[in-house]
Amino acid sequence: MPESISPVESQTRPACAVISLNGVTREYSGHAGVVRALDHAAFSIVAGEWVAITGPSGSGKSTLVNLIGCLDRPTSGELRIDGVDVATMSATELDRFRADKIGFIFQQFHLIPYLSALENVMLAQYFHSMTDESEARAALTRVGLAARAEHLPSELSGGEQQRVCIARALINNPPILLADEPTGNLDAANQTIVAELLQDLHRNGHTIVMVTHDPEMAALAQRKIALSHGKVFCHPIGSQVVTLRR
Amino acid sequence: MTDRTTHKPQLSFIGMLRRSLVHRRARSLSALVALTVSAAVATALLTLYADLNAKLHKEFRNFGANVVVTVPTSGSVLPPNALADIQKTAGSDALIAPFGYAVATTDRGTSVVVAGTDFGAVERLDSWWQLPHWPTAPDAALLGDRAANFIADEHAVKLTYAGRAITLAGAGRLKTGGDEDSRIYIPMPAFTKWTGIGPTVIEIQIPGGAAAVEAALTRLRAQFPALQIQPVRQLVEGESRIVDRTHSLMYGSVLLIALTVAVSVLATLSASVLERRRDFALMKALGGSQTQLMAMFLLEALVLALAGVVLGYIAGSAAAWGISQANFHTATLPRLSVLPLVLLLNVAIAALAAFFPVRVLRGLQPAALLKGE
Repeated sequence: MPESISPVESQTRPACAVISLNGVTREYSGHAGVVRALDHAAFSIVAGEWVAITGPSGSGKSTLVNLIGCLDRPTSGELRIDGVDVATMSATELDRFRADKIGFIFQQFHLIPYLSALENVMLAQYFHSMTDESEARAALTRVGLAARAEHLPSELSGGEQQRVCIARALINNPPILLADEPTGNLDAANQTIVAELLQDLHRNGHTIVMVTHDPEMAALAQRKIALSHGKVFCHPIGSQVVTLRR
Repeated sequence: MTDRTTHKPQLSFIGMLRRSLVHRRARSLSALVALTVSAAVATALLTLYADLNAKLHKEFRNFGANVVVTVPTSGSVLPPNALADIQKTAGSDALIAPFGYAVATTDRGTSVVVAGTDFGAVERLDSWWQLPHWPTAPDAALLGDRAANFIADEHAVKLTYAGRAITLAGAGRLKTGGDEDSRIYIPMPAFTKWTGIGPTVIEIQIPGGAAAVEAALTRLRAQFPALQIQPVRQLVEGESRIVDRTHSLMYGSVLLIALTVAVSVLATLSASVLERRRDFALMKALGGSQTQLMAMFLLEALVLALAGVVLGYIAGSAAAWGISQANFHTATLPRLSVLPLVLLLNVAIAALAAFFPVRVLRGLQPAALLKGE
C-alpha cells in the first residue's frame, strides 16, 4: 500500500491547528549508524479533529507518537503543539507542557498495580497540579466505572482497565488525547464500549490522535495519516473517507 | 472542573511510596534485610570499637606489670615511703606490688630464690598466676613449681638465710611457666623479719595503653630520679600492636561487610527499577519530571536505609552486648554516639547502590516502554 501512494510533503497549516509538523525529522544513532525513524513529516491536525495514524511495524508510528506526546523532540523541523514549538523547550518545560496538553491512552493500559482505579486517575492529577478525589470520581463516572473506583487494576477486566486509562487521560482536561492502539488488547464487546467512549469524547470537542491497526477503529476517525518507512502519507484536513491512490 | 487548589490532596508522595514498598514486599524486604545487616554489623563493631580500648587494656592488666621500679645498686633498698609515693604518682588506678629478693637454702641444701611480697597486691597484679588459692597466713610460703622439688616437706617449708632458719607453712604450688616457678614467695613482713631485707623492686601495672604508660613513666622518673624505672617493653608494645591491629581488623570488617551489602542492595534496587520501568515511564508520560521520579526512587532507598538503621541499631547493640559478655565478661551498653556513623554508612550504601538504577531511570524511553518494546 504505501509504495502506491505519494507522500504529501506539506500541508496547509490552518491557524486553528492544534498539532502542526513542518519538515519534522527524527534520527537515532545506533551501532548500525544513523537511523531516520521519521523523515520530513509535515501535516496538521486541527482542534476537535479525530485522526487515525496507521502503518506497519517500524514505519515510525511510535516515533510520531513520541513526538506528538512531547516525550521526545525532533532532530530537525518544527513541531508545534497548541501553537508552541516544543523543540525550543527545556526537558522540565516539556514535562509540564505534556501534563497540560496531552492525555495518553495506551494499548496495555499501564495502570499502577498498587493504586486503585481512583488513585490511578488521581496520579495524573498529582503530576499535573493537585489531586482532587471528587473530580477523579466524576471522571470514573463518566466512563461508567463509579462503582469500581476502589478496585485495584488486578480486580478489573481489560475493558474496565482501559476505561480507567481513558478517565486518567481526561482528568486534566487536555486539548489532545493521544490513543495508542486503544482497543488492541480488548475483546469485541469492550472494543465497542471504548469506541463509543472515544466517539463521545470527540463529539464533546476533544482532539483525538489515534494509532491503530484496526480498520474498523480507523474508520471512526475523520482522517487517516499513513506512515511507511518514516514517511507520512496523509489526507487533507476535512477529508472524511480514506482513499489511497493505487 | 472544580478548582483543585481548594481541595485537600488525597494522593500523596509518601502514600505512593508506602504503597509501592508494600506492593513489592519481597523486594523491599530483601533490601531492608541487607541494609539491616549492614547497620547491625556496623553498630556492633562500632559499639565494641568504642569500648575496645578499655576492654583490651583491662584484659592486658591480667598480664601483670608493665613498669618495673628497682634500686640502682645492689644492696640498697627502696626509700621507706616508696610504695605509697609511687602509688600516688602512678595514679590510684595503677596496681602495684613490692618485692624483695634473697637467696636462701632449702632443707635439701639447694639454693633457691625467696621473694617477699604482698600477696593481696600480687593477686590483683598477677591474677593470671595458677595456684590452688592465694595465701593469707602471715607465715605462708607459695612454692614455685620447680622450686618445690627442692623442698623435703612442702607442708613445713624449712629455709635458711645467712644462718637464720625459718619454717613456713606451705600454701601450695605456683605455676606460671616463667621465672616465678623457680622461686618461693612469702609475705613481706615475714621476709623482712627473717632476712632484714626490705622491698627492692616494685612492679606496677599502669592501665590505658602505651601512651598512658609513657606518661606515667615520665612522672615517675621526674619524681624518683634516684630509682631505675623501666617499662616492660614487650608487654607495652605488644599491647599497643594488638590494640591497633584489632582496630584495623574491625574497620576492615565494617568496610568489607558494607561493600558486600552494597552489592546486594545494588542488585535489589536495580531489579526493582527494571521491574518498574513501565511504571516510571508512565509517570513520566503523565508529566512527572526526571527530578520527581528520581526523588521517588531515591526516597524509597532512603526509607529502606533509615528503617535498616533503626532495626540494625537494635540488633547490633544486642549483638555487641552478647559479644562483650562472652569475651570480656562485662556488658557493653548501647551507644547512641555510634548512630550518626551507622546512619552515614547505610545512607552511603543506599546512595552507592542507587547509582546504577538512577542511570537506568535517566535513560528511560517512555514511548518505547509503554509500547511494550
